Parts: sequence; structure tokens; C-alpha cells
Amino acid sequence: MKNIRRTSLPGLLVALALAFGPTLLAAQSLEEKVTAHTLKNGMTVLFAERHGAPVFSTLYGFKVGSVDEYPGVTGTAHLFEHMAFKGTPRIGTKDYEKEQVLMDKIAQVGREWSIELAKGDQGDKEKAARLRAELTKLEEEQKALIVKDEIDLIYSNAGGTGLNAGTGTDQTMYMISLPANRFELFCLMESERIRNTVLREFYIERSVIQEERKQTTDAVPTRLLSEMFMGAAFIAHPYNHPVVGWASDINSVTLEEAQAFKQKYYTPNNCVLAIVGDVYPEKAVPLVEKYFGDIPRGDDPPVFRTVEPTQLGERRVRFEFDAEPQLMMGYHKPTFPSKDDATASVLGYILTTGRTSRIYKDLIQDKQLAVSVSTGSSPGARFPNLFTFNAVPRNPHTLEEVEKAILEHVEKVKTEPVSERELQKVKNNLDASYIRSMSSNFGIAMQLIRYQLLFGDWRLFKTYRELVGSVTADDVMAFAKTYLTPENRTVAYLVKKAKAS
Amino acid sequence: MKRTTTQVTAAIAFALLILALPVLAQRHPSELGAPPPLSFKMPKPVMFTLANGIRVAYIQDAELPLVWVLGYFRGGSLFEPGDKAGLAQLTATVLRTGGTKARGGDQINEELEFIAATVEAMGGSEYMTVTGSSLKKDFGKLMEIYADLVMNPAFPQDKLDLARNQSLEGMRRMWDRPNQVSNILFQERLYGPDSPYGRRAKPVTLKGIGREDLAAFHKKIFSPSNLMLGVAGDVSADEVKTVLNQVFKGWAKAKVDLPEPAPLTERADGTVYYAYKDTPQANLYLGHLGARRNGPDQYKLEVLNNIFGGGGFTARLMKQLRSDRGLTYGIYGGVMDGRDRGPFMVASQLKAAQFVEALGLIKDIVRDLQTNLVSDEEIETAKNSIINSFVFNFEQKNQVMSQVMTLKLQGYADNYLDTYIDNIRKVTKQDILDAAKKYMDPAKMIIVVVGDEKKFDKPLASVGTVKAIDLKALIEAERGPQK
Repeated sequence: MKNIRRTSLPGLLVALALAFGPTLLAAQSLEEKVTAHTLKNGMTVLFAERHGAPVFSTLYGFKVGSVDEYPGVTGTAHLFEHMAFKGTPRIGTKDYEKEQVLMDKIAQVGREWSIELAKGDQGDKEKAARLRAELTKLEEEQKALIVKDEIDLIYSNAGGTGLNAGTGTDQTMYMISLPANRFELFCLMESERIRNTVLREFYIERSVIQEERKQTTDAVPTRLLSEMFMGAAFIAHPYNHPVVGWASDINSVTLEEAQAFKQKYYTPNNCVLAIVGDVYPEKAVPLVEKYFGDIPRGDDPPVFRTVEPTQLGERRVRFEFDAEPQLMMGYHKPTFPSKDDATASVLGYILTTGRTSRIYKDLIQDKQLAVSVSTGSSPGARFPNLFTFNAVPRNPHTLEEVEKAILEHVEKVKTEPVSERELQKVKNNLDASYIRSMSSNFGIAMQLIRYQLLFGDWRLFKTYRELVGSVTADDVMAFAKTYLTPENRTVAYLVKKAKAS
Repeated sequence: MKRTTTQVTAAIAFALLILALPVLAQRHPSELGAPPPLSFKMPKPVMFTLANGIRVAYIQDAELPLVWVLGYFRGGSLFEPGDKAGLAQLTATVLRTGGTKARGGDQINEELEFIAATVEAMGGSEYMTVTGSSLKKDFGKLMEIYADLVMNPAFPQDKLDLARNQSLEGMRRMWDRPNQVSNILFQERLYGPDSPYGRRAKPVTLKGIGREDLAAFHKKIFSPSNLMLGVAGDVSADEVKTVLNQVFKGWAKAKVDLPEPAPLTERADGTVYYAYKDTPQANLYLGHLGARRNGPDQYKLEVLNNIFGGGGFTARLMKQLRSDRGLTYGIYGGVMDGRDRGPFMVASQLKAAQFVEALGLIKDIVRDLQTNLVSDEEIETAKNSIINSFVFNFEQKNQVMSQVMTLKLQGYADNYLDTYIDNIRKVTKQDILDAAKKYMDPAKMIIVVVGDEKKFDKPLASVGTVKAIDLKALIEAERGPQK
């Protein structure tokens, strides 16, 4: 559906990463366009000038995602992202003081209600219903004091497009594009939001997210499969839970928990802002300083501890669902800046990207065992991740047949070097994708933010390109031998429910 | 903007409290005042016609070393025989994958992919589109392959089988997604299962399509006089002319004669169609026939749609069903236009336990638009949003080109874009009320819902006359006997 916004985008950046890899020429032209600026509170601001049309796109991200959650509060990064559209003490209200009184009550009643809900069958049903009714009454009262969705309203009036946000495993990002004469409006609005989001209508939004989970996961075979797969592939590392969160946690997470999450991670020193389009840094930087510069610096985010233990043997998951069968399979591997990460991209491309890829030609075109097979680097990039396959068999061929056929290609890579032409084709395509991604303001903003946010320096995109460029046939073979082993593998099957509707 | 005195006072009081900081930044956006004027010159593609009749739109874009090509041939699934539904799409797919008399499909794949170039063909309802892209240095090579494919496709049997098998598997799987199921059932009932607008490809129609059908369909549609071709990118007009004249040399004009599909008639009669599926939400599509494209009320409808269900979170559907009540993650709708008639429709995946309540809210929103004038603020926001975001249509040159091509093909006036903003500005609250009365009728809307009625707040019978659709039987009947 075209209008839906505020969504969970697991692996969005990762997917793009596979498409990146600049030629030296394009890399230089991007570097020439970029001005980097660090505010004294630690916020990084990257400008790229592009004066074609009088518009600009902005994208800013916090280095926080579902990987920073723990059991009980899964989905909080994404939930908070929704709440960031509910306004501030100045935006979205007719009388903030009166609202605060009500919101204290809402927080209290909501917490008590959530406790009953979390007890499940042991909960006091009557008490829960009473608290729900009380909450509804308070929400109705607050509604009279609210200027409904005023962030949307203001940006709509200003001609803004693409107001949206996305949460992934690794990061949360916010975006808006505006006509060039609205730069100050952007600074005011977004500095307000970062400084002080008011979590109004929290328990209504929690209900929206319950529906989001049903719509985008529970009713979507591929997403459900991915959830089952990740849950098995990671036993300790929080890459094992979905970005949208488990239903139980979404159903009972409290306003206070969302607020606490925000305090910990939504600091300027944990934020990167990219501005691309018809902007002149000499005029824009002072405005950015004025609006964003005095947001107080926060503590560094907590140190991340959990390391996924080495996998000791193959893991297999099989579940029934009311849908045609498909499979997901993956192997643990290092992440950027390890060269193995670049090698994985190259191998994935050789195996499954395009009509000339090995698996397309063999499994899809010739043997027609499958209608699609794709590879990826999932679910995030901040921590060691997985080299994955997704495959959709063609009836009457089975998951077992498809798995076996994919594994034959995996084994072949271990014994026969890939050809120079294949390597060159991948590099040509990664270069071209990179250039194509530069044809929109938003595309450039994505490029700039990725490496700065996740790895601390936007220029590392060149490092990635160099790594990809240096991948040899020997590297590919070594990668396959080291990582694509049975004991490092997880396989998940979605099979059609015997008694389906 | 609607600020109250209290708010301003509060803002000032707050500012005074922390005077030591440079707090001027913390204001309400309405305090910023009017923005500086935006100067903007609309980029326009150059149009010219080649000797063999190909109409060309060209726009230069030297920012990146890239070229984009977009070709529209009039003719698509609306013009395929009903018993061969799916022919347009299969023709497009195999045109690309099957290669030409001179170059095999696999060879073309190799040649294009090695230089990171693409050519893709799609069969739409009205147009067959063939797109291409490459690095600037490969423009000549790209067009050589592009022209060979559209002029001399080989349509080999193996690639037809591959395309058909892929489509058949897609048809097996389209029932897996409940929202897709509700859409399929809705389209079919809205337009009629035998209408060119409502029928869809099925296993039985795909199986009856042979190579000769593809070749005949191609012959009927792929003619130079029936092609509008756009080129955008880092190539000069002279280079474009030279290359196009060369690659399309000898392509003979042929008369393209496409019979007009029978006009649509309204079939919607308020029936509720219910298909059981074990899924957590209620998947809804509702509506009846909407508007004809490029009609007299197009600007009124654009503003109406923005207020009703197309304008994101400021639209009434989103505001009332999602933001106020948490009944859905997303809902959109509007009076869409089409070649004959688009749909007036609303689509959403809703909380099952409040589905009937939600349906009531949707109907109330429609009735209110037909009864009361919208507020000043609503119409202002809708018009501001459309007018002020207009400039985004011109961010990318290849976008500009495809937009102008579509407008020309669909018979819009040459000054459509130049007068667009003024036309939106002219829309009044009364216009919106009139359009809502003319184009919406809650009593006539068919309601298609896929889900589990046992989870709903009230029986569907409380909504209207219910006709059940046995999904399992339908799927089995369409698939036919399985191996």
C-alpha cells in the first residue's frame, strides 16, 4: 500500500550495501560534493550540494535498532520511532501544561493495564477491562488538547514529501524532503523532535503496531520464515529477534520503557544527519548550528556485550503455514570492514544476481526447480551476520530438491575457482549501481549516512569499493571453504499446512 | 496556522526561563513567517519524430554518465483475447528473454549484464513498455540490442515455457497473501470477470497460449508509428538522433488497429463478499466505479482524494482509523481515474475484533464528505500540499520525461503542467462536496473482506447482504487437476 509510513525496514541498509561500490570517478565526484561538519555536541552533519531542482532531502539516523533491545522490550526501537511523530511540547498541542497532567495519569493507568495484560491467563480480566475503559476516557480528554498529527500537517502545508522513518536491526532513520526555501523549517522541526519528543497517544499507537505486526509479519510467509530462521541462527545475539518485536512485548511495553529507551540512545552524539540537494553549506551550517547545536550531549550508549557463540552444528527449523513452501538458509560470517564481507557480496552476486548468475541459469532457467533464489547479508551489519539464501521452489519440486541443488553450487565454489569474467561482471555492476544510486537526493543521503552511522566515517564507502575490487577467485574459494560449512549452517523450511483453508 | 494565544504565552514563558541559552531556536514553526519565494524553471523534454514515425522525447541530463530509455507501445492486456488472458505479459517477458533472430536470449543476457546495462519489457493494461538503461559509453550498444528486441523477437518455445511456468507458480502463490486475495476478488467483482478491465490470466488461459500467439500479438502492436520513445541522460540530441535512426533503420510502418474495449457498466450493488481465510486481520477492499481520466472534475477529485484518503496522515481515513483509534497500520482510498473508469475504493487491513466498527467509520467519513463542507483548514492543507510539493515532480530528469510522455499518450493538454497549480488553486469547498456526491455512493459500494468472521465484532449480516466465496474451492477449480 503506497501511503504507509513508519515502518520497520530490517536490512534496508544491508540490501543497499550489496548494491554499492563506487568507481574511482564517481567516488571522487561524491567527495567533492560533500561537506562534513561536527557540532560541539557530537552530532555529525554531512552536506552534499546538488542544485538541479530547488528541493532537498534529509535523512538522519541514530545508531540504535532492535539489536539494542532485550527480552521483554523487543520492538521498542521501532515503537519509539512511531512515537517520534507525535509532536513536542510546542508542536501537536493546544495546551501542553494541561496535557502533562493527563499524560501522567495515562502513564499510570497504562502501566497498570499493561501489567495485567502481561500476566496473560493469570491476569485479572475485570481489572484489565476497567483500566482499559479508564484509559480510553483519559485519551478522549487528551484528544481535545491535541493538534492532531501536527508534524504531518506542517510538512504537508510546506510541500514536504516522503515524511517517513524506518527502524532496522542496527539503526533508526528519519526522513523528509522539502522545497529548498524550507530549510529553516526543517531545522526547527527536527531539532525539536530530537530534543523533546512527547509520547502522546502512546497506547493508541501501540495498538497500531500490533496491527502492523499482523499485517507485515503474521500474514506474510516470507517474513514469518525469516523470523523463524533468525531465531534459530542466533541463540545468544539479539539479531535473533524481529525488528517489529514479539507480539507479547508489543502488547505490554509501557510508555516509561519507551521513554527510557529514548533517553539512552537519542542523543546528538549518537546521531548522523545527511542533507542533500539545493542547499549551500555556508548558509545552512549556521542554521544547523543554531537549531541542533545546543541539544545537550548525552552519555555514550551502553557498551554492547553479547557475542554469538561459535555454531557447533547444523540447525534446522520446519514449520507449517497456510502458504506454498519456501526456504531460508544461512551461514555465519564476519561483517564490514572484514574483507570476507566484501567477498560474500561478490559470491552472492555470482550465484544469484541477474539472468546470467549461476543459480539462476541452472535452477530457474534450465532445471526449473525454483522460481526465485536470492542471496543476502542479514540481518544487520554492525555485528557479525549471515550469508543467506532465500529460495522459492516451483511446484511440484520440493524444498529438499532446491536445497540440494543450491548446496551443489556452494560445493562447486569450494573446488573450482570462479572465472575472471564473473568477477569483472560483478565489479562492473556494483560500480554502475553505485552511480545509479547517485541520481536522487535521497539515494545520495543513504550513501552518506550508512558508513558514518554504523562505522564512524562516511568515506569508508571507498574502503568497501576497494575491498570488493580486490576480491580474487582464491578469496571466493577460501570464503566458501571457511564459512559455507554444514556445521555453520541454519536452514528453515516453511511447509504448507496439511489442512489449509 | 492555528496557534492560540495561550500557546504563544507558554512559549515565551518557557523561553524566559532558560534565557541563558540560545533558545530562539525553540519556537513553533508558525513563528518562522513566510518562506522566501522559490524560483523554479520547469525542465521540458524536446519532442521530435523520426522518419519511420517513432515519436521521441529527449531530455539531456549530464550530471551522471548514465542513460535511461523508456518506450511505450499502445496495446496491452485490454487488447488481448479473453480466452488468452495473460498474452500481453507473456509476450513482453519472452520478447526480452527469448532474444532475437540474430542474438539468442542467453547471449543478450551476457552482453547486457557484463556492461551493467538493462532492457526489460512489461505488458500493462494499455501499454507495452520496454525500458533500458546503461552507462553513457554503452548507449549505442544498448540501443542496438533494444531495437533488435522490439523489431525482431524470436519467441523461442523454451523461453515461452519458462515464462509460463514462472507465471503458473506465481498464480499458485498469489493466494498466500490475504490482502492480495481481497484485491483480486474486488477487481473481478468491480469490473466483471469477463470485462477486459476485470478479467485476469488464469492457468487455463496461459496454457492455451502458443508461440504463434506471441508473434501475432507482437506484429499487431510493435510498430514504429505506435511507439513513443523517451531518452534521458548524458547524451546529446544529435547522438540520440543518429543512433535511433541507425538502429531502427528499415523498420516498416504498419497500421495499428486496436478495437476499443466495451465500455464499463456499474455492477456494484452493495453486496458484501466474504472469503474465509485463517488470518489475523480483516482484509478489506470496498468501492464502486470511479472517474474517467482527464475528465472535467480531475482537480476537484485530486483535492477530495487528498482529504479523504490519499494524503497520508492528514487524510481523514488515516487520521480517524489509524491515528485516533489504532484500528489499522494503514488505510488509503479515493476516487481513482482510469482509461474508462478507475475505481472509487478504500483498502485496508483492519483489526478483526473491531472490523464492523471500522467499516461504519469508513462509511461515516464518506457520508460526511457528501453532506458537509470540509473545513477551511483541511482544504488549505490539501491544496498547499499538492501545490507546494509540485516541484518534486521535476527532481529527476528521467522522471520529467516519463511524466510528459504519459500525459501526451493519454491526451492531456500540452499546457497541463503549466496550468496545474492554478487549476488546483481554483478548487473550492463546494466543489469537493459536489464531487463527493457525484462520485461516491456508500449504498452501492461492494465490500470484499477476507479473514475469519468469527473474530469480527459483529456478524457481517449486520452490514448487508452477504455472499460467501469458497476460497478453497475457487483455488482448486482454477488450478485444475494437479500432478
